Amino acid sequence: METRELFWNVDGAAYSAFYAIGFMAIAIFLYGFARHFIKYARGKKARTPVDVWRGFWRMWVDLFSQRTVRRRDRYAGASHSKIFYGFVILFIGTSIITVDSDITEPLFGTSFWKGTFYLIFSLTLDIGGLGMIIGIALMMWRRASFNLPKLDYVRRYREEEEPRAIARYWQREDWVFMTVLLVIAVTGFLQEGVRLLHEQPAWAAWSPVGWVIWKVLAGLGMSEATAEGIRAVNWWIHGMLALAFIAAIPWNKAKHIIAVMGSLSVRDERPLRRLSRIPEDAEEVGISRVEQFSWKNMLNFDACTKCGKCHDACPARTAGYPLSPRDLILDLRVFNDKAMGRSREGSELIGDIIDKDTLWACYSCGACQEICPVGIEHPAIIIDMRRHLVDQGDMDPLLQATMENIANLGNSFADNPRKRAAWVDALEFPVKDIREEAADNLWFVGDYASFDPRNQKVSQTVARLLKLAKVDYGLLLEGERTAGNDVRRVGEEGLYESLVEHNLEQMGNSKGFQQIITTDPHSYNTIKNEYPDFGDVAPIRHYSAVLAELLQSGALKVVTPLNKRVTLHDPCHLGRLNGNYDEPRAVLEAIGCTIVEMPRNRDNSFCCGAGGGRIWIPDTPGTEKPSENRIHEAAGLGGIDIFVTCCPKDLTMFEDARKTSGHEADFEVADLAELVAEAIDLKNIDLKHVPSLVERITDAASARVADVIVKQIAEKLADQVAEAVAKKLGSGAIALAAAPTAEVAAPATASAAAAEAWGGSPITPAILPGYEIPAKDGPRIMVAVKEVGTLGDEFAFTDDGLDVKEEFFDFILNEWDDTALEAALQTIEKLGSGEVVVVTVGPERAEATLRKVMAKGAHRGVRVWDDSLAGADPVTVARALAGVAKLEEADLILTGAQSADQAQGATGTALARILGIPHTAVVLEMDWDGAGLLKVMRELEGGMGHAFEMAAPAVVAIQTGANEPRYATMRMIKDAKKKPLDVVDGASVLDEGSAYTVRRMYVPEASGRAEMLEGSPDDVAAKIAEIIREKMGG
Amino acid sequence: MAGILVVGEHLQGEVRDITGEIIGAAVALKDKIGGPLTVLLIGADAPALAEKVNLEGVDEIVTVVTEAAHFDSNLYEEVVCQVGAQKEPRAIFMGHSVNGMAYGAAVAARLGAGFASDVFGVEAEGADIVAIRSGYGAKVQMELVFPEKTVVALTLRGATFEVPEAGGSATIAAVDVDTSGVEAVSTHVEYRDPPPADFDITKAEFILSIGRGIEDPDNVPRFKELAERLGATLGCSRPVADSGWLPKPHQVGQSGKVASNCKLYIALGISGAVQHLFGMKHIETIIAINTDSDAPMYNYATYGATMSLFDFADALEKQFN
Repeated sequence: METRELFWNVDGAAYSAFYAIGFMAIAIFLYGFARHFIKYARGKKARTPVDVWRGFWRMWVDLFSQRTVRRRDRYAGASHSKIFYGFVILFIGTSIITVDSDITEPLFGTSFWKGTFYLIFSLTLDIGGLGMIIGIALMMWRRASFNLPKLDYVRRYREEEEPRAIARYWQREDWVFMTVLLVIAVTGFLQEGVRLLHEQPAWAAWSPVGWVIWKVLAGLGMSEATAEGIRAVNWWIHGMLALAFIAAIPWNKAKHIIAVMGSLSVRDERPLRRLSRIPEDAEEVGISRVEQFSWKNMLNFDACTKCGKCHDACPARTAGYPLSPRDLILDLRVFNDKAMGRSREGSELIGDIIDKDTLWACYSCGACQEICPVGIEHPAIIIDMRRHLVDQGDMDPLLQATMENIANLGNSFADNPRKRAAWVDALEFPVKDIREEAADNLWFVGDYASFDPRNQKVSQTVARLLKLAKVDYGLLLEGERTAGNDVRRVGEEGLYESLVEHNLEQMGNSKGFQQIITTDPHSYNTIKNEYPDFGDVAPIRHYSAVLAELLQSGALKVVTPLNKRVTLHDPCHLGRLNGNYDEPRAVLEAIGCTIVEMPRNRDNSFCCGAGGGRIWIPDTPGTEKPSENRIHEAAGLGGIDIFVTCCPKDLTMFEDARKTSGHEADFEVADLAELVAEAIDLKNIDLKHVPSLVERITDAASARVADVIVKQIAEKLADQVAEAVAKKLGSGAIALAAAPTAEVAAPATASAAAAEAWGGSPITPAILPGYEIPAKDGPRIMVAVKEVGTLGDEFAFTDDGLDVKEEFFDFILNEWDDTALEAALQTIEKLGSGEVVVVTVGPERAEATLRKVMAKGAHRGVRVWDDSLAGADPVTVARALAGVAKLEEADLILTGAQSADQAQGATGTALARILGIPHTAVVLEMDWDGAGLLKVMRELEGGMGHAFEMAAPAVVAIQTGANEPRYATMRMIKDAKKKPLDVVDGASVLDEGSAYTVRRMYVPEASGRAEMLEGSPDDVAAKIAEIIREKMGG
Repeated sequence: MAGILVVGEHLQGEVRDITGEIIGAAVALKDKIGGPLTVLLIGADAPALAEKVNLEGVDEIVTVVTEAAHFDSNLYEEVVCQVGAQKEPRAIFMGHSVNGMAYGAAVAARLGAGFASDVFGVEAEGADIVAIRSGYGAKVQMELVFPEKTVVALTLRGATFEVPEAGGSATIAAVDVDTSGVEAVSTHVEYRDPPPADFDITKAEFILSIGRGIEDPDNVPRFKELAERLGATLGCSRPVADSGWLPKPHQVGQSGKVASNCKLYIALGISGAVQHLFGMKHIETIIAINTDSDAPMYNYATYGATMSLFDFADALEKQFN
């Protein structure tokens, strides 16, 4: 009967020894496996939902199709498939033998491993084993001669030239892994060969590899006896190696065989598209310690095979930033394997193991997770660590400023929110305000398409196309705020949540729509995938899909097919993350373009470098921008007419890159909509048929404009009337006061009334109602802060003409006060005890600013107000502050040197006088011992410093530049709601009169207005060059 | 109860420019509300400096010698109030300077006086004083009045008023003021010179100055190169220096340097805060490039253009290739 003797020449002690070793190997394997399992069990819960069953089935498909390994590397895919299938076949074969000889035979006394089954078995295993040997040989050849930089693990992106110690270990590990596997396979075949030579069975051809070896060995003159000898020894070599391999699986690269099954099964269906929410009750934000990783993160670390596909795909690594997604995961794995899922003393996860620069380098483009064959979700891990950094206020100053702008203004352009819809003004027809009028579609415009001048033109083109195609849409106009996709990816979750809440509320309060459309893939992504976690939101479509449909249905008719050779850049958030590859291509085909694909297209699209908040972080000098890299790629295609984008940020990035990378003459960069406009000959279509100028101004806007105009006309008229009257009377006595704005406040008796004593009574601290003040626990620093209003281009005065209407202001924390607060916080931190109390004189509105200040670390807040204090002079404000300072018994009082709005530079000085304590102003350096000694340096004109010592309690007015104020995350702001804020009635503050009365407010005459030069930058530069040469004689 | 008391300012033995300027403002007002115009100098070297403030229109110079050689806000406040009580002026003029900011409002609070700071226009309507200042980032101006105040204390903006001719005919008198009850606030330690630089904004004839509009510290080298190519000295506004994008010696303005010898000034991305205008608005030819078509800088510039300053810089660079 066809079979073979399993334990030929192995009996008695040897037989027992083999089983003992076998059980030991399995025990070691199980021990190693359990260690990993214990490690995962210590991990936190997965942050996004895991659908294990669905994932489980998909994992089998992934494994047996080898599709994830094959992608973008057919050689490695083919090699790995051979190894994989070979291994699977050999594994199943070995299992069958085990079942036969250790279960059915001893238990039931029957064996099925014989006869025809045995022959097919032997043939199959020969093929599998041969495949594995070929696969390993191909992989070895690849490593030895392909010179793939990613496989030597040298961190060239960190300018390292030599592998680190761990990298050397990895190199060895790879070779040992392949070699051991190869030797196991080869010794297996050798065993088969010598067995056949020894036994010479009739069915030897069913073991074709063994048969060839038999014939070769026999041909080389090997005797049966020699074969028998080798058979006896080689059996042990092969067996022991195989058992050693099993035992070692949990400790080396081979562990991916198991970890990958877990990792692929728990893959997120929507990784990066939809990030996790931070639970309301979370005590810590983000990840800064190893035990904060989820079990899924840890499984990801262990699944990594170091293949380097992510390393190759990463735009940050390509551009020379210190981020390789693979090295990040490997570093985390090494650290976590030492830590075993628990924190260790001595090493900080962020800083020692993972550089902050590494975390900030990520563009959140998703290229790494897309190509990862084992389902690792790198970006979410990076963003979780960023969340921690943001929570600590640890970020680039420019990024921090942008976050503050977004919090204050709702846009990243630091622009007045009222300007958001300014691009609409250039349209020939009215656009619906969806807050006033229902429409089929809400067009969510997004920041770049609203504020960036180049993209505004695209928005206008899209508006015209939609108008022409009779698509019914409306805008939220200035009610819209940035959607927050990139804010979330920066890690500023609290700010993101507040943006979502705002936009959802605006949508909810609108007059209704069925669908959302947008040109911005970033807004598209977050509204589509993330907003539903916060509330109901209508389905959203990208304009590429809308345009494709309009072209197909004939709503937009192509007049002149463009006949251009174009290449399309797939936006990360549209294509890779959301799978919309075909719509923009359908549009291009419909308008008669020939699409020439770049080598990296569709899911392999190469990020423009704007994502993940990186557009708000300065580039490191000396790096090639990803956008430039991409433009070179497009130029390499040759003969391209247009580089097409369908994302506002892309347009900006690639317009710049085309100029800076020297391809200005090679091709144009244009938005999809602009090409459609050209193809349908939009410029020759009259869209004006509906509206008049008046109609396209919304009611609210028109009222405001009218206000301004009326006021200006009134002032002009008044001046002219006054002038005319004066001329008629022949005297210049009637002066400014004739303007219609003011009741002339100062009665003529004022100076007469002053006939008493010179001077008046000293101003005293306001007597304020008491409130609960905790007992002092260390020094108490009081910081006076002010919410300042900034004005845009357009504003109007209140009816009495004495102030600007509140609605035109954007309110922010005074920059100088922010610096003063930082000085106070640093002082208290240095002293190690005490508290910072912030005080403001302002209406309820100012509490938002006060909360922000408290979020930064102030312990308590006090707000003094009475409506009579609106527009109060600095001495009056100081009187109110003095009242609080008395109650608080402050040991040191800090103020900003001035406020950004009124620039009085007086409050601190007045406050000190009212309290009768020392004072100094414009201070750049301050050091306080917590008791009586204050060392300060004030900044004199011309940058000179004046250093001196003074005694506390005192009032110190701080100058900007003294420090870098910290950042308050939106989450910290929310948390600060729990801090005490006392509101004090300030009705008595004006008891001693005010130091001045505003009797008129007006827009300054633009006297001596510059001669404005018009034309292109080149025209203007030419004219100015002429002036320079003329003036400087150059 | 008439006349104006001007408090002079001096540093390290030199009378500061602002003193002459506010004397100029006082001379103009004296014509309307009447004299005398008294200039007060305080400090150890006050008598030695008296003649320097003897400008046309000054009636009286009062010197008060104090032991402290250096400015001390408490002493200034005390002396001004005591001399004020003797002279009973209708108005007290102080500079809106770092020193003035340290005691001006204190004088007002102590006297319960009318008060306004950073004033750049003073009018009189009969005996009533009207002060003009700006607000909301210089987008508006306002007229302030001081009803029922017997005395009005103002701090006046520098580089704004004309300095009268020298050679006045004022009487000079030393006045004793008892400052024994007043403790000096401060114990002087030292003056620290600004960090040294191999250029001097005050001497430069041609300045290319950059503001917050350059957006990013990484853009600084680009403008540095442009300045070199044009043969200009590189200047900047306060935020650029405060953020550490350029060292302090580059800063033009009140807390920086006054570009006193400059003939041509190109302001790139500088909106035109008062603080900055202080250092450059006198310059004969000013060119302002900004993306904001409403930047106050255009009100002081000779030529202006609204465009991306990066595009402009590129274009200008080409002109000097």
